[in-house]
Amino acid sequence: MSFINPNAPVIVQGMTGHQGMTHTARMLKAGTNIVGGVNPRKGGQTLTFDDIPDADGLGTKSREVPIYATCSQAKEATNAQASVIFVPPRFAKSAMVEAIEARIPLIVVITEGIPVADTAYCVALAQKQGIRIVGPNCPGLCTYTSHDEQNSGIRGVNLGIIPDDIVGYGSLGLVSKSGTLTYQLMSELSDYGFAAAIGVGGDPIVGTTQQEALEILNDDPRVKACVIIGEIGGSAEQELALWAKDHMTKPVVAYIAGYSAPEGKQMGHAGAIVSGGSGTAQGKKEALEKCGIKVGRNPSETAQLMREIMETL
Amino acid sequence: MDLYEYQARELLQEKDVPIPEGIFASTVEEAVQAANTIGYPCVLKAQVRIGHRGQAGGVKIVHDEDEARFMSEHILGMTIHGHKVRGLLVVEAASILHEYYVSISVDRSSRDYDVLATAAGGTEVEEIAKEHPEFVKRLHINPLDDFDINAAEKMAQEIGFHHADTSQAAHILLEMWKVFIENDATLVEINPLAKVGIPDDEASKHLMALDAKISLDSNAAFRHDGWSRFATSYGHDELEAQAAQLGLHYVHLDGNVGVIGNGAGLVMSSIDAVADAGQDFDPKIKPANFLDIGGGASAQLMAQSLDIVMSDPQVKSVFINVYGGITSCKQVAQGIIEAVDKLIQNGTTLCDIVVRFDGNEATEGLTILDNAHHDNIHVAQTMDSAAEEAVNIAARILNCESK
Repeated sequence: MSFINPNAPVIVQGMTGHQGMTHTARMLKAGTNIVGGVNPRKGGQTLTFDDIPDADGLGTKSREVPIYATCSQAKEATNAQASVIFVPPRFAKSAMVEAIEARIPLIVVITEGIPVADTAYCVALAQKQGIRIVGPNCPGLCTYTSHDEQNSGIRGVNLGIIPDDIVGYGSLGLVSKSGTLTYQLMSELSDYGFAAAIGVGGDPIVGTTQQEALEILNDDPRVKACVIIGEIGGSAEQELALWAKDHMTKPVVAYIAGYSAPEGKQMGHAGAIVSGGSGTAQGKKEALEKCGIKVGRNPSETAQLMREIMETL
Repeated sequence: MDLYEYQARELLQEKDVPIPEGIFASTVEEAVQAANTIGYPCVLKAQVRIGHRGQAGGVKIVHDEDEARFMSEHILGMTIHGHKVRGLLVVEAASILHEYYVSISVDRSSRDYDVLATAAGGTEVEEIAKEHPEFVKRLHINPLDDFDINAAEKMAQEIGFHHADTSQAAHILLEMWKVFIENDATLVEINPLAKVGIPDDEASKHLMALDAKISLDSNAAFRHDGWSRFATSYGHDELEAQAAQLGLHYVHLDGNVGVIGNGAGLVMSSIDAVADAGQDFDPKIKPANFLDIGGGASAQLMAQSLDIVMSDPQVKSVFINVYGGITSCKQVAQGIIEAVDKLIQNGTTLCDIVVRFDGNEATEGLTILDNAHHDNIHVAQTMDSAAEEAVNIAARILNCESK
């Protein structure tokens, strides 16, 4: 099991905006099979993206991407298996609902600043329909394929804003609440490479929890060991620890950010807040260690812990 | 965003949740006048956005004008758990027969809404939940569903309200739900929801919200007129307010090393690195702030960020930590140089800045910093060594001894 199959057709909601354009071009260059965009006012138009690598990776050419007025039309025309959402916060709820109703099985929400009530509604609706939301307020997810696979046209999928050039294919998996810390750890472990990385997002309610993401990586035969990046707020790391203790078959190391964060202050991410003494970094670290997961004091120590594990595998 | 008690009361009052008569006062004169209007005995309550204010001496009953003057002077001069008291709520004293606890909140784990109540109110609900979980009733509400009068009545019965109170309790629960949903709240808590009245007079007994805590979802401000009705000029950190206006995530801390970075996680990690390195000194060196410049930092944004961080007189050095994902370190470097030049032109005294770049165009970024030959810009190879250098600089200026 994996988040998404290689070469899966993908659409982008909010493709015609600045963020949407920039990151669609990036995702295409990373080899993602983007087959359409959605914009209610621009249905029927096409957008042209230059210098997009061919399926065999040998040359480049321009790629025309059609814009559909609705998600349902896009789904019908392309059989999209995922949608990446870049629309502004106030329109995010209707964008998510539209994607759910179009029965797109994976919805990756990059947008930061969505009201928690809107997310709660959409996550509940998606759960009811058996649809996975990743995010919101996340960098998205990536899967990677080996050189041999790439040479035979099997390409990993880059959904969101994770830079494609930090790492190549390898045997690690990563689950993170933070974008830049994801890049930092990927970069420190680039010599091992990654099979999949997922940013679950920094909001109080997210569509895919750290535990759910780890479950998928545990079932993915390409992943040999996992890195967890957590931060203050909530108890997702504690829940993950308890699950991992009984079910995880692969080694896991973790890093938690925010030891020096004061009580009651939101540290950038909407969900990153210690309240009533709960959600502290120290509490998360202890819960993880109690369940046998090694926790690094900083990103480089965490990478070092992973190296030590990889040497024994 | 946490509301003050007097603001939370407004929202409850709009929905007919019974609350005692009360008047907000920000000066001693206003407080005395309010107490005279309400009548004696009455209660003076410090308005701070932190719990346990009663234990800290921030809630006092007064019996006449002299006491009102003496106590309001006292409370208005207090600092409770680091929060300076700048306002008072004067409320009528109630004779309490029993105390309940009720709250509605966003449940992060179950990704729904959690109605929580106990008849064993008055103390810390966390303690009751730990020692007597059987006294705490919870109802999870799916975000696709509604909380209606039937559910509220069932809940009220389960909580164990005294028979005669069940229907009023159900009404209050339902109104709390409306306050929660209509205001995009993440928490509506009434503690205590008290039964008040004269012991021998059944007709006088009723439920009343004696204290309330409401947190609103800042992300929903766009559909509530920016919560402008709750904007107060007091109780805010000046620098935090300035930064918020510029759209920057800035949290003022109490140390000496300013921290700027891109991405909330990396900045949290950076303040941890500073705190870790600062352990080696006596007194300890700590981070002065958290500042996330987000993706794609322009020169202007960098200048504004440096300006805010350095206008904190406590700041003795600054640690800039950038991992270029989509953001180019080259652009950030240009931003830093432009910002520093601008600040020098404005006559700002610059403290030393330690920069660590990694990722997208990091080498190009470092070259730009090198070529600018600014004496007070230092470059470090790793996040940890950069934090250490910034801490060492601050320690030198503050004459802290190395342990």
